Amino acid sequence: MSDNAARRLSRMFYRISIAIEAGKDHLSDLDGAIGDADHGITMSLGFMAVNAELAKLNLDDTLPSEVFAVAASAFLDAVGASTGPLYATAFRRAAQALKKDECLSPADQAAIVEAMTTGIKERGKGQRGDKTMLDAWVPATEAAVNARARAAGGPEMWNAILEAAEAGANSTRSMVAARGRAARLGERSLGHMDPGAASAVIILRAMKDTFDEGEREKPGPH
Amino acid sequence: MTVKTLSARKNGTARAEAGTEPIPLRYGDDPYVWACWLYYEDHMTQGDIAEIMGISRATVNSYLADARARGIVNISLEPSRLSSLSIAQELKRHFGLHDCLVVPSDDNTRPLIDRLGGAAAQALAKLLKSGDTLAVAWGRTVLAIAEQASVPGLQDVTVVQVTGGTAANFAYTPELCASAIAGAIKARLVNITAPAVVSTAEIRDMLLREPLIESQFDALAKANKALFGISSLRPNSTIHTSGFFESVSLQQYLARNAVGVVAGRFIDGQGNPVAGPLDDRTIGISLDMLKTIKLRIAVAGGFDKVPAILAALRGGYVNVLITDAATGRGILNADGVTELDQKLSQRPKIDHRATLPSNFRTHIKKFLNDPDDVVEEMLDGVVKAHAAYLRPIKGSHRALVARTGPRPGKVGLVVGGGTGHEPCFLGYVGKGLADAVAVGNIFSSPPPGTIFQCANAASGGQGVLFVYGNYAGDVMNFDMAAEMAAEHNIEVRTVVTTDDIASSPLEDKEGRRGVAGNFFMFKIAGAACDRGSSLDACEAATRKANARTFTMGVALEPCSMPQTRRQNFEIGPDDIEIGMGIHGERGVIRDKMMTADEITDRVMDRIFSEMKAAPGDRVAVLVNSFGATPLMELYILFRRVEQRLSAKDIKIEANWVGHYCTSLDMVGASISVLHLDNELTELLHHPCDTAVLRIG
Repeated sequence: MSDNAARRLSRMFYRISIAIEAGKDHLSDLDGAIGDADHGITMSLGFMAVNAELAKLNLDDTLPSEVFAVAASAFLDAVGASTGPLYATAFRRAAQALKKDECLSPADQAAIVEAMTTGIKERGKGQRGDKTMLDAWVPATEAAVNARARAAGGPEMWNAILEAAEAGANSTRSMVAARGRAARLGERSLGHMDPGAASAVIILRAMKDTFDEGEREKPGPH
Repeated sequence: MTVKTLSARKNGTARAEAGTEPIPLRYGDDPYVWACWLYYEDHMTQGDIAEIMGISRATVNSYLADARARGIVNISLEPSRLSSLSIAQELKRHFGLHDCLVVPSDDNTRPLIDRLGGAAAQALAKLLKSGDTLAVAWGRTVLAIAEQASVPGLQDVTVVQVTGGTAANFAYTPELCASAIAGAIKARLVNITAPAVVSTAEIRDMLLREPLIESQFDALAKANKALFGISSLRPNSTIHTSGFFESVSLQQYLARNAVGVVAGRFIDGQGNPVAGPLDDRTIGISLDMLKTIKLRIAVAGGFDKVPAILAALRGGYVNVLITDAATGRGILNADGVTELDQKLSQRPKIDHRATLPSNFRTHIKKFLNDPDDVVEEMLDGVVKAHAAYLRPIKGSHRALVARTGPRPGKVGLVVGGGTGHEPCFLGYVGKGLADAVAVGNIFSSPPPGTIFQCANAASGGQGVLFVYGNYAGDVMNFDMAAEMAAEHNIEVRTVVTTDDIASSPLEDKEGRRGVAGNFFMFKIAGAACDRGSSLDACEAATRKANARTFTMGVALEPCSMPQTRRQNFEIGPDDIEIGMGIHGERGVIRDKMMTADEITDRVMDRIFSEMKAAPGDRVAVLVNSFGATPLMELYILFRRVEQRLSAKDIKIEANWVGHYCTSLDMVGASISVLHLDNELTELLHHPCDTAVLRIG
């Protein structure tokens, strides 16, 4: 069986699902501090559904953009909630971005991160500093765009992305929530990391691991 | 006390001075090692160990847990069992299965088919419940299950054969398999008394119209569980050797890339049905019908079957898989999951015990079967209990429509939200109230597709009104659904309810959340729609109700999620949370416990500060339990609400006291007041008939 781009993406979603599942209780506890304690459950449900739908695809003749499109509708149908529309829109935008170039080069990987962030921004009408998942996604995108501009290699780019996302998620501790249910808590949301930002870091780390692995296994330069 | 001392002594005399003796030398200075030795080597109970060590039982318990975390104690599973468990877990995750059982690859002293049969027999004992209808297919594996199955104590179980019969002279014919399973579990047996494959399509159609066979298919349609094997199409497979299918036809299916057979039907590598000459001549369950059965148990193993099983999984025909370790690993590899073991070892171990107080993880007792099924099982119950008022749209329990609601020329009212608030929202579906309800997961908005189905079902050509609480998730999903409705030429207007006055200051009224006051907004909106008002007028009346409804809640104890059975926030023994929402989100102010009247006064003072009611004005009052607070206490609250209102000469036009919008098992209550005017009073009294509210 050949290892193609769609298969790598499917493996990426698989890794995300495992990582989210492992962090499920932690995410729900973070959410319990400032929300309704279901973030871990919701995210895990969503990515399980994505896996189940991707398993039904014939990955040998599926395009990477199609993998993202299937993931979008599977995630949305499974969870609803607020993460449903946000990540579904993110995956849909990533699918659109990939249609231009389906080879999953480091530039394409940067485009995925960028498009996902755009989707989340659009759907949630939010911005950096609102104490949401965007506080991880926006810096991650900036790092990706910078890396692309200086034509950095995949591993270097992903190190920068993850570092930026982690710093961003940590910065939510000192923020007062402006969106989502936590917004009603006022200054009582201070001191807690936003669960959406925490899960964004988990997702980005799993993406990094998948693409780094692809880098190691690559036979030679394209 | 003497009894305790005795029990502590029965394991040895050296520990006579219970609780006073320092740690014996041999354990070093480590109480963890001491506790572990007593527990794992001396096999003492935790109570006895507590006695000896002079510490509490809870401390012993945490010593033992920490000892595992610190690696003082290692518990290992026998490797072949561990590997089959990991494979089962990966299969379950990868294909989104309901459950998966993998038989270890052992020394092969017993044939695989017997081992699968034994495992499936055990699984059946767990999965079958009284009152089930089990559809049973044919094959060697199914017969092996029947030979080993025994499920005592079941009542009213029916076994239905999934295909017609055959004259072939092998031991595992459809009729024999069904009857063997029925015998083993002492179930009533319904055979399909027609041949599995007949000579022409006309004969099949004639037979299907026969009342007897029709009644047998009716029984099959009632199946909620199915048991079947998966056959490969390799040259030596059962399919070829049994003579069940004509070999000429078989070649035609193979030519069209069929890789397997499920319940007598051919599928390709992606699980799609493969059309062929036998389709119109087959009497038996169709693949579509199979998919509607809730629990679909496939039992299959052997390396030659990997492509067929993978196809059946991809096609979604299976949601419980019973197989063996080698086959399971093969399926995962064939689907590109190659790094199984590596991934499992990479799985991060997260230990949060240190950061959480020890009393945080208290498991709450609940009436549950599988925590993942709570919403589905609740909806099964709702659909049956309230069948007079509502029915599923297109078979989905997540989208329910009123039986006597939608009609041409009427504005349709769609409500919805997460579950955990029962009787909100589905209890308000019926004549004169909501036309359809979209149901999400616990405390989570339903997805756009579900909401759109409701809009479509509720539409009477005059537009549809969405009314739901103001939460970021609900707003996004309902907005996406409204976009979908617009594409289908259904005009949608939305009123987002914001009655929770504690959730934001008055300047940010639109940012407030919608809580129990939904009860009034739904009632007013439903009445306006039922009276045939225009979409504009319905929207305006609902907005007015929202602007004049004031709610505030108080929680005494947190609620707990069915999936975790843990309380989802902490509250001190003497604390209460004022301004609590309906999702167990924390309130806005935490205060010390006070009397019922003092609490009511705090709430009513806030309500009076916003509701500009003059003496002689009329209101409607709702005193609502968050789930665990009993009626007794609600009446005590209502008593004080009435005193405060009458002191201001405000008349209560109507009131409701009880469970109207809950938050799982939270202890607490909310008070809602609707400031009426003439229009709202009329709409409030307009007749309605739903499971929870009946007027007129």
